[in-house]
Amino acid sequence: MSEKNNSSADESRRGFFGSFSAVAAAFVGAFLGVGPVCVGIYAFIMDPLRDKSKDLPKKSRGTGADSEGFFRVASVDEIASVVPRRFTIVADKQDAWNFIENQAVGSVYLQKSETGDISCFHTTCPHAGCSVAYEQDSAAYHCPCHNSSFQLDGSKLEIGGSTNPSPRSLDKLDVKVDDDNNVFVRYVDYYTGKHDRIEK
Amino acid sequence: MFGKLYNWVNSRTGVQESLEEALYENIPGGSKWRYVSGSMLVFAFMTQAITGIFLWMNYSAGSQNAWASVYYITYNMEGGSLLRGIHHVMAQAMVCLLPIHILQVVIEKAYVKPREFNWWLGLVLMKITLALGLTGYLLPWDQKGYWATKVATELAALPPVVGGYIQKIVVGGNEYGHFTLTRFFALHAGVLPGLLVGFLVLHLAMFRKHGITAHSSDKRPDQMFWPMQVLKDGVACALLFGLVVWFALIHPAELGPPAEPTEPYGAARPEWYFLFLFQMLKYFDGSMGWNNEFVGAIVFPGVLFGFMFLMPFIARVKIGHALNVLMIALVVGGAGYLTWEARQEDNYNINNPADIESAAYKKAAKFHAEVKRADTEFELIQELVKDYGIPLEGPLALQQKDPYTMGLRLFRRQCASCHAYNATGENERLAIAGPAIAADAEGPMGAPDLYGFGSPAWIQGLLSVGENGIGSASYFGNTSHSEGEMIAHIRDTMWAEAESEEDKKNLLVMVEEVSWALSAEAKLPYLDYAANQEKIQSGIDHLNDDTLGCVGCHNYQENEFGYVFTLDNYASSEWLTTMISDPNQIYSEDWGTHNDRMPAFHSEATKLLTADEIELLVRFLRQDRTLLGTSSAIVNPIATSESPEEAAEEAIETTKDLSGEESAD
Repeated sequence: MSEKNNSSADESRRGFFGSFSAVAAAFVGAFLGVGPVCVGIYAFIMDPLRDKSKDLPKKSRGTGADSEGFFRVASVDEIASVVPRRFTIVADKQDAWNFIENQAVGSVYLQKSETGDISCFHTTCPHAGCSVAYEQDSAAYHCPCHNSSFQLDGSKLEIGGSTNPSPRSLDKLDVKVDDDNNVFVRYVDYYTGKHDRIEK
Repeated sequence: MFGKLYNWVNSRTGVQESLEEALYENIPGGSKWRYVSGSMLVFAFMTQAITGIFLWMNYSAGSQNAWASVYYITYNMEGGSLLRGIHHVMAQAMVCLLPIHILQVVIEKAYVKPREFNWWLGLVLMKITLALGLTGYLLPWDQKGYWATKVATELAALPPVVGGYIQKIVVGGNEYGHFTLTRFFALHAGVLPGLLVGFLVLHLAMFRKHGITAHSSDKRPDQMFWPMQVLKDGVACALLFGLVVWFALIHPAELGPPAEPTEPYGAARPEWYFLFLFQMLKYFDGSMGWNNEFVGAIVFPGVLFGFMFLMPFIARVKIGHALNVLMIALVVGGAGYLTWEARQEDNYNINNPADIESAAYKKAAKFHAEVKRADTEFELIQELVKDYGIPLEGPLALQQKDPYTMGLRLFRRQCASCHAYNATGENERLAIAGPAIAADAEGPMGAPDLYGFGSPAWIQGLLSVGENGIGSASYFGNTSHSEGEMIAHIRDTMWAEAESEEDKKNLLVMVEEVSWALSAEAKLPYLDYAANQEKIQSGIDHLNDDTLGCVGCHNYQENEFGYVFTLDNYASSEWLTTMISDPNQIYSEDWGTHNDRMPAFHSEATKLLTADEIELLVRFLRQDRTLLGTSSAIVNPIATSESPEEAAEEAIETTKDLSGEESAD
């Protein structure tokens, strides 16, 4: 009896972490508390960041980009002069556990200048990600969300006294035309809200 | 006997003591109505948790099923609409209660020492509640939820260096997809409610430790929490619940058309309680260098939140508390003002009907048009779901086969730069405005209004003169044909020769009959040819007798001396397909007519539209809602003794006859 009293008195003098068993208990407890969470958090954070290209099925028919990321979008004759036209980018897509063929994965506006030069604009507004629409009446691109507008060359446009909060002009994409008059676009997404154009 | 049972339970569990501990809390100064806000928030959360769990039993968080499951809950499930309605309205009520509770706590000085930690716990709870609202909005996977959340996740990438990683983690990868929805759902139904309960327990424990903050000037006698404050809390919660149920009944939770990442949505707006942030973003345009988007979306709200965090310390200074009250009032007032301003901007066209030329009016009008378009698209998909059911691939698979939904989109995108589609009456929801051409504009800029193309009414207008006749904007007034032979014939020969009233009446009758005869060539599925057989026959006779001078230029049946396109199969499915795919096969240079601006949408050289898209457009124009992939019903305008099989064979034959070639593929 007196021995028990002594040891508990000893422990209270040594403090909460005074004895080896206390430290060990704390350690094991921390590990148990944090362990399962860490396993979950690891997957939660690391899976979205990993390179998913290995998930693509090996024998798919592969409608998609070429090695440099160019997608075939249209033929030169399909692009109107001066008036921009909206084209959809179609590709096979791996969405988590599903492989879906010929999905619309994005869209662009293509236009031809009077000299025949083809320019391509991303439809995503560089402000916060809504889709811009070209309006013939005003010959400009308008975003329906926060008052951003852009001229035919992509530069910012101020309309009717309201501010244009877009951090940059409408995003241009690289275009190339092959000998058969096929138009290819290097379709990439850019981060919105930033002054500089940075690919995602 | 009951008392004995209770005593037995109590002796084993000690429930009496726990209850007394919980309920017999002393309230200095007595119970008050203004203390109910916290309990109302707890009640609101409990309601959300319960309705949420029952919704969970019927919801599927995958991008193919989410919309379909919410559709089922809202429209098919017994009691589902009310369940969802309560969940939807109570979420908004909870957000409304937050500033009330915060203001009450601040004004009563219940955030200063020793209650700092409770204040901070409350701030965390506020953040969790707002996060619940944000994550919940995406779950129906409809267009409005999708695009509102898209903006929010784009903003997540704003912080420098780590922004990109944050965005990927939130979205679940590089793009929106299955994982975005599953993540948001896990957060909304699991993580956030769990955290909320945890922090709420701490918040209540802290509250009980320090007790109510009562005014020292309050001379009224103390009261126990039970029963008076519980009663007041209960009454307030009952009123809240009644209000919420009433709202849910008169304004049920809506569902928008299913989410489509590549289909732009002009009516994108967050839920109303985030409108102040939405409005604020418009001002941070970077014009002064520092006021860019990162500052507006992340830094500025962060600074405000930081201020709120520091409030207990600010209050230590003499005027600190007054400053805090002022700041909170400014924040709440500012948010309220921005919400109002956002609404005003969107409703500018309604509030300022006279200012029709201004950019603000046009923008607001466009917004309302887009909202209406979204409503129409939802109506259309609802009709499809009722008729055909939602397939495994989800509602989009169904939508993409619908000539009405897709026809509207295709027409708007490809045709409306020249053609109008002024649908009226029952079909008004399908109306598409054509290009805005000033009355005094020079040169050919438009094209005929295509609503009812091929119907007797349309053809009759074509063969008439006057305000809505062939020379008007509805027909060829804005085209190069306004100077052409057809208009000249109608105006200067046909109608000019009808001088007396009697002549005019007779001509009108003949024109109507001819219109029916030509419409019979179109075989439109929505017309009652059977009831107009006499008119059709008379019309055919007029055509063959060259009464109106048609077959002098046009071939028709046995008449072969024409030099412009044949009237056989006019406005039929095959004719329209050719017209859209390769109009120069109808308006051919060889025949002396010419097409100077209608593009070929599916020819050797250009394929702006696929064959499927053209089929959808053709069916749309013919008001034929047969889904793509199913053959349209055979229409037999002229009553004959043919059997359906013979009629079908004849239909195939006429396809080959069109301009002598096989129909365009």
